[in-house]
Amino acid sequence: MQSLIIAASSSEKIQNLVPWVSDHVSPNASTHVKPLGVGPEIHLSPYFGTQAIMMVLVTAIILFLYGVLFKKGIVPRGKLTNFLEVFVVYVRDEISIKNLGEEDGKKWTPFFICIFFFVLGCNLMGLIPGNATATGSYYVTASLAIVTFLCMTVGTIIKFGIGGFFKAFMPAGVPGWVLVLLTPLEMLGVLVKCSALMIRLFANMLAGHIVLYAMIGLMYAFGWIAAPAFVISVGVYALEVFVGFLQAYLFAFLSAMFIGEMFHHAHAHDHDHEHAH
Amino acid sequence: MFNVLAQAADKAAEVTALIGPKAGAAIGAGIVAIGAGLGIGKLAASAMEGIARQPEAGGEIKGGMLVAAALIEGVSLFGVVVCLLAIVL
Repeated sequence: MQSLIIAASSSEKIQNLVPWVSDHVSPNASTHVKPLGVGPEIHLSPYFGTQAIMMVLVTAIILFLYGVLFKKGIVPRGKLTNFLEVFVVYVRDEISIKNLGEEDGKKWTPFFICIFFFVLGCNLMGLIPGNATATGSYYVTASLAIVTFLCMTVGTIIKFGIGGFFKAFMPAGVPGWVLVLLTPLEMLGVLVKCSALMIRLFANMLAGHIVLYAMIGLMYAFGWIAAPAFVISVGVYALEVFVGFLQAYLFAFLSAMFIGEMFHHAHAHDHDHEHAH
Repeated sequence: MFNVLAQAADKAAEVTALIGPKAGAAIGAGIVAIGAGLGIGKLAASAMEGIARQPEAGGEIKGGMLVAAALIEGVSLFGVVVCLLAIVL
């Protein structure tokens, strides 16, 4: 790749750019960190790099906010707890209760709050200059998608038994012979939906950061002529904040929707004449 | 003369082998962008029309539009991931 760029362009700065961008977004970047740009270069293990440190920091911040400041059963008073209450009530009403029903929704709300705030925290921490994005690594998003997959499969088995688990793949009101074709497709659909969750979050975070680095790199490579690139990169930065919120909401919402669908289909045959759909 | 042509063909094949995957990936990413733009544009058009017809349903339409837009975006990002794999692998 290096020889290609050398062959294609003659500018030395563009040659310096590609290793810089790939160094910041590739998984190699997580093994060495230079605090504040100056100072000694710390070498971390590939198994616990900068992204893992970000995840630990996000978890610590969430635990502090919700364990210390906003304890269970406390009435929101003051700016911070009222601000956090908006998010919590939104996740409970729009994501959890809407997809899982009343009692299940209230029981599963802490789970979706955890997912939402973890993804949101990781996305936003990655936007602070110098930090790594934990959700920009497909291992992290795959772990979250595996958690959703386990909730969908093992959770349905625990709640409704093995019979209910197989009923979850058979939508109501479908003739027998179509069911033979449909059930393997539905089973594959569970895997595909969870993989989609993983790739959506990972690719959104990674692509956003690559675009941002490329825009800033244009300013480095071309100097003063690339002054509009500064305006565009500020715009892309704001877009990245919005995309961070949106992808966090979407991950939690789609997890709730998939789990709610499984639960709903799993007990649909017991009393399917009571609901009016 | 055929000697020169053969050498030119060899050189073209060599350069193509060098940039073939990258050029294919770049063109593929552009086509993915066209697909995503068309899909989300259509979605936004019908969402705007729905809100214009019935402003009270604005909140519900906005929520549904956001979810559908993110799903379409997810599909377009599958294409981007495939283009990235074409470069790396």
